[in-house]
Amino acid sequence: MPSWQDFQPFIVTGLALGGVYALSGVGMVVLYRATGVVYLAFGAVGAMGALIAWSLINAGSPGWVGWLVCVLFGGAVTLGYGVVFGPALAKRTPLTKAVATLGLLLVLFGVMDLLWTTSGGESRSITLPTDGSGFTIGQVQINWTQVIALGAGIVIALATGLFLRYTKLGTAMRAMANDREITATLGVPVRRVEAAAWLGCGLLAGIAGVLLADLVALDATTLTFLVISSLAAALIGRLRSITFTFLAAIVVGLVQNVVTPISSISNYSDLTPFLLAAVALLAFSRGSVLSRSREEA
Amino acid sequence: MADTAVRAAGPRQRPPLPRPGTGTLVRTGVAAALLLFVLFALPQLMSLYYVDTMIQVAVYSMVALGLGVLVGRVGLVSLGQVAVLAVGAWIAARILFATTQPFPLVLLEAGVITMVIGTMLGLPALRLRGLYLALITLMLAGAIAIILATTNFPNGGHGFLGYNGSLVHIPPIRRPSIAAGDPAYFRYSVVVAALMFVLVLVHIRTRPGRAWAAIRQSEPAALAAGINTTFYKLWAFALASFITGVAGGVYAGAVHYLYSLDFPAQDSIILFAVVLMGGAYSLWGAIVAGLLLEFLPALLQNWGVSADWLTILFGIGVLLTLTTAPAGMADQVPKDLARLGRLLRGLARRGAARRGGPAGVARGDG
Repeated sequence: MPSWQDFQPFIVTGLALGGVYALSGVGMVVLYRATGVVYLAFGAVGAMGALIAWSLINAGSPGWVGWLVCVLFGGAVTLGYGVVFGPALAKRTPLTKAVATLGLLLVLFGVMDLLWTTSGGESRSITLPTDGSGFTIGQVQINWTQVIALGAGIVIALATGLFLRYTKLGTAMRAMANDREITATLGVPVRRVEAAAWLGCGLLAGIAGVLLADLVALDATTLTFLVISSLAAALIGRLRSITFTFLAAIVVGLVQNVVTPISSISNYSDLTPFLLAAVALLAFSRGSVLSRSREEA
Repeated sequence: MADTAVRAAGPRQRPPLPRPGTGTLVRTGVAAALLLFVLFALPQLMSLYYVDTMIQVAVYSMVALGLGVLVGRVGLVSLGQVAVLAVGAWIAARILFATTQPFPLVLLEAGVITMVIGTMLGLPALRLRGLYLALITLMLAGAIAIILATTNFPNGGHGFLGYNGSLVHIPPIRRPSIAAGDPAYFRYSVVVAALMFVLVLVHIRTRPGRAWAAIRQSEPAALAAGINTTFYKLWAFALASFITGVAGGVYAGAVHYLYSLDFPAQDSIILFAVVLMGGAYSLWGAIVAGLLLEFLPALLQNWGVSADWLTILFGIGVLLTLTTAPAGMADQVPKDLARLGRLLRGLARRGAARRGGPAGVARGDG
């Protein structure tokens, strides 16, 4: 059994990753509440944004341009998808809506594989200027990127919670989660509110893309399927609760990383989000919140 | 011809015991002729490269068939069928290395064991419906992929896992003695696939098929009609897992060496996309899906075009299918052709009425 010393650095990476999962999970929850779409292309959008940023930075543009382009790319693609396909699928089941985003995922995945081929074995990376500097707690090195990742998760979860609670747009989103038709009858510009949710979710996808490309790896497949970790967190939050999504994301990030020093199970650490989400899905279905919700019937 | 054939397996409700009319005879004749052509003429006409490809088409047609039963017949969406295929291949490879049992028996065992595993995983998953079922299958597929990446596929080593990382000369996974060469193994896999199609057809034509149709229409109504919905849903899972397990066995024999890289996570999603496009409601859709999934990439590769274009096309196809053609290509294309035919006939008639040949058609167009 490894000692406490061995675990410390992994707690730091776990918290940082948990922060990114939290901001992704929150983005997915907001979009689901406003539009009923589980956005499975979240990771692919972020991955492609990060690859574009990498190309820009390699071509000599300053770093901040690349990161900004990545975030804006996420927003633009997601908003575009939402505007084009959102209304067409608005009356379909949540399943159809989620599966349609798999179509977007495949398109992006194909484009990424085509333009940024991985067969050459070259490894790409995005480094943020905050990687180099940091501070030490005890014997653990912490860099500012990790602090930013956790901080971004906390700030965005808090801000989103307050936004949904206290602003007019947030209230409209919550109303649409309950009933789109009635909300529209009450004079809420449904399409515009949905567009706002798509844009917000897409911007978060871009931010997550930059951070994950730095913290984990800049690789299309890895980043595309990291969405499952955030999705797990969002599912544990029942696709409703910002608080539970945030906490679940931190737990997923922590557990996934902290088991790394334990050699017998470290290979299986990536199972964490799958297992937690599967258990959560099954446990909640007992309370029948999920399986008897109106959209499912 | 294709039109009648497609309609044969279409989603429409049939009377429980179809009368063997001329339509049925024609359909059976077409299917038999096609099977004979594929079995005897096709291997002669193709290079070895395409024979290998067609073995994969047979394998993935079976996988698509299993998924088609779940999606098209019962309305259960599974996003993890390629992981089930990997499990089937693992089991078949383990048995093939461990024993000298005849190949068909191994296929049967792989199917049955995969069926048991699939049913055990399906039992809790059936508490969930719709979106959440799809998501949990995605999670399970991810979990299986990680476990297989760690345990590796059997390569002739000892122990339960049958994997020996330090083995230098890895023995190939054996094929049946009557089908050692590629063309022979192709015929073998086509026969296995045909048996699976017959198995599904029998299911659809009898009691389970009617129960599934009722469940797909409305689960509460099916329940009220006295159908044990959980039992029949589980049956569908079992049937799909069995077919996919058998397909895994055929796959193991086809490639000789198995690696977890052969079953990437995105493949389950691409498979689902292709089954949606091919048409989940028709048995022909499964063959279309197999061709789209394996034959087209091979063709493009031969032409020097990246298969990534296909992934992009599949993505667009999913979006278009969901927004415009929910029954998939095998259903939509004949419909569109029929519509086009009607349009042309109408134009021709109108043109004739105006005593005009081509000019009349042009005028009718405007």
